[in-house]
Amino acid sequence: MRFALVLAVLAATLPAQAQSQWVLQQSTLTWHVTHPMHEVAGTSHDAKGKGICANGECNFLIAVPVNTFHSGDSNRDLHMLQVVRGADFPMVTVRTSLPQSELNSPTISADLDVQFAGQTAHYSHVELHRTRHGGDVEITGTIPATCSDFKIDRPSFLTIPIHNEIPVDFDVLWSPE
Amino acid sequence: MPDAPLAQNAQTQQQKPPQTNEPSLGDLGFTPAQTEANAKLQARLNKRTHMLKIHQTLGLITLAPMAATVIVSSGAKPKHSHTVNGTVIEPSNAGVDLHAALGSATAVMYGLTAYYAIAAPKIKGVKPKGAIRLHRDLVWIHAPGMVLTPILGGMALNQENQGEKPHGIAAAHSYVAWTTVTAYAASAVAVSWPIHWKFWEK
Repeated sequence: MRFALVLAVLAATLPAQAQSQWVLQQSTLTWHVTHPMHEVAGTSHDAKGKGICANGECNFLIAVPVNTFHSGDSNRDLHMLQVVRGADFPMVTVRTSLPQSELNSPTISADLDVQFAGQTAHYSHVELHRTRHGGDVEITGTIPATCSDFKIDRPSFLTIPIHNEIPVDFDVLWSPE
Repeated sequence: MPDAPLAQNAQTQQQKPPQTNEPSLGDLGFTPAQTEANAKLQARLNKRTHMLKIHQTLGLITLAPMAATVIVSSGAKPKHSHTVNGTVIEPSNAGVDLHAALGSATAVMYGLTAYYAIAAPKIKGVKPKGAIRLHRDLVWIHAPGMVLTPILGGMALNQENQGEKPHGIAAAHSYVAWTTVTAYAASAVAVSWPIHWKFWEK
């Protein structure tokens, strides 16, 4: 009788542990561009995201409109939008899938699929840093993006193109939904 | 990514299980205007970039005849002798012609440069911000200067041909020219600001 009771409690508890959702509360995403004459950064705080954990696996999606990145110069921002085909492909999305068991680690190695400028690039073993803030969790990291990953024609100034590397720093705050 | 939320929260989810455990773009609450492609806007952006690249190239090329005009300007004005009687040495016709020709070339190049900036498509809802504002504001100095400079130069030349020393507004030719050149150069630098000289880095 006691054994049956334990089984019943377990049966009621397991699905509860398997289903959970997270929502992105705050975000700062910053791209960096380097040219021999310039170093420029563009930042967006307009990302939205959701995470669903079920059956021991968590899937996260973060998306941000390309036109919400601002570098402090409207001319440069419009040029960036043109170069990355931001009107044809207005969203940047980042997806990752992780075993739920890995989520408590302060450092997480994640595989990211980034969709941007009409292309999808896969980044393996991207190091993410996790910090708890009460019930919320802050994740920081850098996506080692390059122009060639997304077939972006590198803009040039005085005939010198920008560097191929366009790393994107992110700092996102997740809350349980 | 965050660790698993509390079981209590998970139970709430259990009552309303999602269709799939992969979130989609539709789950995030973006408006269709934010997520849908806009081919017309992309075409405008492409045309804008194309025209502004020409504007940039022509603008830099214009610096060459502009600098040359300034350099040869000394050969286009009378020189006062340092002798006791203070005779005036008139400029040669070739010197004046060269200065006028380079000035004309500068004006034509400037006009073409301006055309590509003015005709480039504007993007709705985008207000000029940052270095581009100063670049645009300096137009109010160098554009009138570019019109006035050759007019004043012509007036000064006429007065000299009549044996008069340039006077009145014509006497301001070189001051207007220098103001124009300075504003134009500042405009070129402003749009590139801030500059970090790191050519030694790959």
